[in-house]
Amino acid sequence: MNIVSYLFNKTVIVGFIIGILSLYAISRQKSDLHMLLLSDLVECAMLVVIAAVGTDLAEALILPGLVVGMAELLAVSEVLVLRNEIKYKKKSNEKSKLLEEFIAKETPPNINIKFGKMEVLYSSPKFVAFILVVYGALLTGFTGGAVMASGLLFYLLSLGATGNGISLNRLKNIWESISGFSGIMWAFWILFGFIGFFLYPQKYLYFLLIAGCALALKVGSKLGLIGNILK
Amino acid sequence: MFIDPITGNFYGYIPFGDIVFYLTDFSVIAFLVALFFTLVVYLTKPEKQLEAQINDFDKFNIVSLKELKIRRLMAIICGISTAFAMLTGDLFDYALFLAVIGISNIGIVSAVKKEWVLNAAYQYGIIAMISSLPLFGAAGLILAKTGTLSILELSKTAHDIFYQKIIYAVGMVGETGIAPFYAAKAEMFKAPGAPYILMIHLSSLLIIIRTAEILLSIH
Repeated sequence: MNIVSYLFNKTVIVGFIIGILSLYAISRQKSDLHMLLLSDLVECAMLVVIAAVGTDLAEALILPGLVVGMAELLAVSEVLVLRNEIKYKKKSNEKSKLLEEFIAKETPPNINIKFGKMEVLYSSPKFVAFILVVYGALLTGFTGGAVMASGLLFYLLSLGATGNGISLNRLKNIWESISGFSGIMWAFWILFGFIGFFLYPQKYLYFLLIAGCALALKVGSKLGLIGNILK
Repeated sequence: MFIDPITGNFYGYIPFGDIVFYLTDFSVIAFLVALFFTLVVYLTKPEKQLEAQINDFDKFNIVSLKELKIRRLMAIICGISTAFAMLTGDLFDYALFLAVIGISNIGIVSAVKKEWVLNAAYQYGIIAMISSLPLFGAAGLILAKTGTLSILELSKTAHDIFYQKIIYAVGMVGETGIAPFYAAKAEMFKAPGAPYILMIHLSSLLIIIRTAEILLSIH
């Protein structure tokens, strides 16, 4: 019994054990590159099995087997490289936008979330505007007018933001009425306040109160008009 | 004795160097079918493809000429090697033809530059590489046991090669038999320029029939 016949069974068993162990390793493997290398190891085990025959014909068979294995390895590795290129190109494209999370994205066509119908958008501006107007009325004077006006302005702006804009006719109405109201308050401030100081200096306190309140209402209504325009 | 009822009449063999081609009814018909579909692949123009869609207008896919050329080349290589795998009378040459068909299948699938398609091509390539162990290993084992690789010689007298035949069949399944499954997994039917993958299906079908014929002939 020559050495080739003696070693044939053992070599074949070793080749198949290498193949089966590589298959187990492939099944445990997460990395694509390692999977590729391990399957190349399986092809080497294939060469071991062929080489176990140990004749001239087997020597002639190893070369085409090796060439085919190399060709498959090259093809699959090219596929892997191309796939990773496409994968990472897509990822880098996604990340290329600066401050992407702050840019408004266009809403998907299928999702119709009506943001304007949220309850808090209707109830909260009235509440905030009411507090500001009351606080401005308590302050009186020019500062109170500014605070009150900011309340009105906030209310009108929030009306515009929720999509409940006022129609043009109503806008004209509001504009006229607020400017008229502002004019009347101006008259109160000048006539009853200022002139009252000179005519009745003893009762200056009432006239001061009248003038302060009228000034607050006047400035408030004037700045409320600005809110109408900005809307 | 078994070769006659399976493959039909035996017309002779072509002494083409080491590679012995032999002609029977089955191999000639399968060879002509494979060559005919290779010609169809060469002459057809699948770059204009209409994709039907539900609730929408049909989509018109256009494939670029560069992508088309490499896929056509791969499909033609696949068809030619399928045709000659039908004729060959050598187990190891048959295994080499299977490996070439496997590589060209990878080429056909991976020509589409989409991530999911390339993923399927990669997985198919891994399976094809792994299954070269049972395929070539079984050829080597048959050579060691019987001393020949010729199908004509192996079909004349009885040998005890049942397990080697099983391993050979497993290798064939891994190398080309499962290619249509990966084409389906990649949804290549929807990808642009899909008609070339019909060559994958044809070669897989013919190779499975031919392998069954070989495994029934040798004994």
